[in-house]
Amino acid sequence: MLTIGDQFPTYELTAVIPGDLSGVDAKQPEDYFTTVSSAATGEDRWRVVFFWPKDFTFVCPTEIAAFGRLAEEFDDRDTDVLGVSTDSEFVHYAWRRDHEDLLDLPIPMASDLKRTLVSELGILNADGVADRATFLIDPNNEIQFAMVTAGSVGRNVDEVLRVLDALQSDELCACNWKKGEATIDASALMAA
Amino acid sequence: MGLETLRGALPPYAKDLKLNLGSVTSSSSLSEQQLWGTVLACAAATRSQRTLRELAEEAQEHLSDEAYEAALGAASIMGMNNVFYRAKHLLNGAYDDLRASLRMQIIGKPGVEKVDFELWSLAVSSINGCGACMEAHEAVVREAGLSREQVFDALRVAAVVAGAAQAVEIDAAPGAEATLS
Repeated sequence: MLTIGDQFPTYELTAVIPGDLSGVDAKQPEDYFTTVSSAATGEDRWRVVFFWPKDFTFVCPTEIAAFGRLAEEFDDRDTDVLGVSTDSEFVHYAWRRDHEDLLDLPIPMASDLKRTLVSELGILNADGVADRATFLIDPNNEIQFAMVTAGSVGRNVDEVLRVLDALQSDELCACNWKKGEATIDASALMAA
Repeated sequence: MGLETLRGALPPYAKDLKLNLGSVTSSSSLSEQQLWGTVLACAAATRSQRTLRELAEEAQEHLSDEAYEAALGAASIMGMNNVFYRAKHLLNGAYDDLRASLRMQIIGKPGVEKVDFELWSLAVSSINGCGACMEAHEAVVREAGLSREQVFDALRVAAVVAGAAQAVEIDAAPGAEATLS
């Protein structure tokens, strides 16, 4: 499994669009779908990419909805959130329509049907589906946090947010300079 | 409106500040952005709404939208950092082993030239009264190439804006001689 310091693999996946599906003026199933791609990540944006084994299982909607509820908190921290499983986009769509907690989910739900991304990440398990893994990726595409839990152990999304806050809370201010330190590294500060 | 309104609102006993306010904003070794960003950040740091209202209007004419936002950002983030780091400094290193765990992303990406943001941070620190922060930010701007004269000009601006804000607020206080309309 890829871990901190590794580059996150590139991807281009079909996803169910974020937001309230009942408000979409759809003529065909494709109107509910979009493409999420690592290349389209905005400059200076962080990413949370999290995986679950199967749609329509019990633990998943709770934590996916929890990521959804905190979507604005993540956005305030310049962070995009993406949920992924190996189910097809049509299954994602059906699950989102079926489960009231997921109906207006504000984050895209992507399909890694070919299992390319989960394989590259090393989270494809013996059952042929994704482990319950979470990655935090910085604007340089470097993994800064990786977590995986076995079986049906749910995630604490607040913990992901706490880690993100800690990662982004560098003491960048010159005020942090202590008397006795030879010089302030102005060039490093200017380059921060 | 703006600078002239503020100067006109200063009571007779604050005539020195009225004249200083004119001189520090008319001739300066600072670039236009450095000068007016310092004026705006300092006006915000005085916590005098009357002062900020007038000087913000004037500063808007000299600053890009990005610089205007960044100067207000400098006043805001230093409002936090001056309190926090002053406390740390005054406690003589007893808490230096602990992480601040405070977000200060704007210092890394202020949206303007970093040296200008550092200069505004220095000026605001002088108003908020944190000696150690001033020492640190002064070293940064000097190392980045600003001259002693430029640093001194920024400190003059901070002092004059703070004094003018004091006079305006004295004059606006109930019971004080009301010359503000």
